Amino acid sequence: MRLVALFSIATLIALALETTIPQLIPIGVLAPNLVLILAVDLGMKHHGALGAMIAFGMGYAIDSFSGTHLGLNAFMLTLTYLIAYALSRYLISTSTAIGAILVFLGVIMTGLANSVGNAGFEASSGVVGILPRLALQGAISALLTPWVFGLMGWGKRSVGLRPRSVRE
Amino acid sequence: MRGTFLWRYRVVLTSGLLLLLALHLLSAGVAPGARAEKPSLVLLWLLKPVQTIEANLADDTTGFVHDYFDLVNVRHENVQLKQRVAELEGQRTRLAELEVENRHLSDLLELREVLAMRAVAARVIGDDTTGLSRTLILSQGSSSGLRRDMAVISTEGVVGKLIAVAPNASRVLLIDDHNSGLDAFDQRSRARGIVAGLLNGELTMKYVDRTEDVKPGDSVVTSGMDGIFPRGLLVGQITRVSQEGPGLFLNVDIRPAADFRKLEQVLILTQKPPELAPDIKG
Repeated sequence: MRLVALFSIATLIALALETTIPQLIPIGVLAPNLVLILAVDLGMKHHGALGAMIAFGMGYAIDSFSGTHLGLNAFMLTLTYLIAYALSRYLISTSTAIGAILVFLGVIMTGLANSVGNAGFEASSGVVGILPRLALQGAISALLTPWVFGLMGWGKRSVGLRPRSVRE
Repeated sequence: MRGTFLWRYRVVLTSGLLLLLALHLLSAGVAPGARAEKPSLVLLWLLKPVQTIEANLADDTTGFVHDYFDLVNVRHENVQLKQRVAELEGQRTRLAELEVENRHLSDLLELREVLAMRAVAARVIGDDTTGLSRTLILSQGSSSGLRRDMAVISTEGVVGKLIAVAPNASRVLLIDDHNSGLDAFDQRSRARGIVAGLLNGELTMKYVDRTEDVKPGDSVVTSGMDGIFPRGLLVGQITRVSQEGPGLFLNVDIRPAADFRKLEQVLILTQKPPELAPDIKG
């Protein structure tokens, strides 16, 4: 339950920042995907069925504030969690560098999925055009990964949580 | 329990089930008011206070000097006057459109009066989280009488329509989002088409027959045929007209009348527009 509470609060804070900062500063495409960083942190360090459910909930929360297709980001964040989980188990590592790479790829993957989901079969004409934007957003998100991981680490220590990423 | 297949692969199995659930939500295209939509409306409601505080912060930063020297009542009166100006601007555009229609369509059987429509003013308090879709979050919700599919306009022109409504907040899908589509026509030549957004955020008018007389500089207005937007609201101005190959339709690029990046206040039309007879071109 502490895990659920911690990530719920973190997700709400991330969503509040993502929806309001563009109003204060016109950063447009430069806005990092903070919730995806949280999902990668969850996948790398908290292995369990509950982690997958939290990732689904986080994606659903993004769907509430973005786009028109409910379930799209829920799908992508659950998939991101699964990939982060699988990679951390295979590499037996929770390295921040690997996390940053996962975040970069996750942002591009999620962005492409959003574009295809929104545009359907017409996406092919626009997808190539948005790749540079997604790469830039991915890079910015990857740069912020260590700080977000650090903040979450502090939060977990504060509530007495420890990562459960060892093979079971 | 531990060591069984289900325990060892619990993460993968749970993730698989959740992925299937997400695909089901996607493919079902959650209907308005469906149970699956309710948690998202709760989240909208939950975050509204934070978004309002941040929107106020943005306003206060620029309005600090005014607040310091002006009386609070003067600021309140200013907000009320801005709302009234927005309503009057909308009425003026519709009146101009009715004048054009009267001149070009001499076989109309009767003219309709411009009806004053009920509207609710709202502030823009949030943006789309991912930046890949074109939506905004507004400060009013169902407690103010708002419902899905209500038209949203600004003093400059059409903004979009409501796609999600919580008790005290709502989301508007902008007209330049790829999922948006509104029935409109060229105010000068009466050429009809569907105004839709592209993936790169630009606006285009689709299905305009290649024989139509459409030129850059023409104004595009709503036709009123979609039952959401009243007839005659300004959508934008045509910037480019081109034809690719032997296709049936023209490529028509539009610059939206409303600057979505600078929107602060909008009007939501809470009254359904009057039904129209099929448009007779003349």
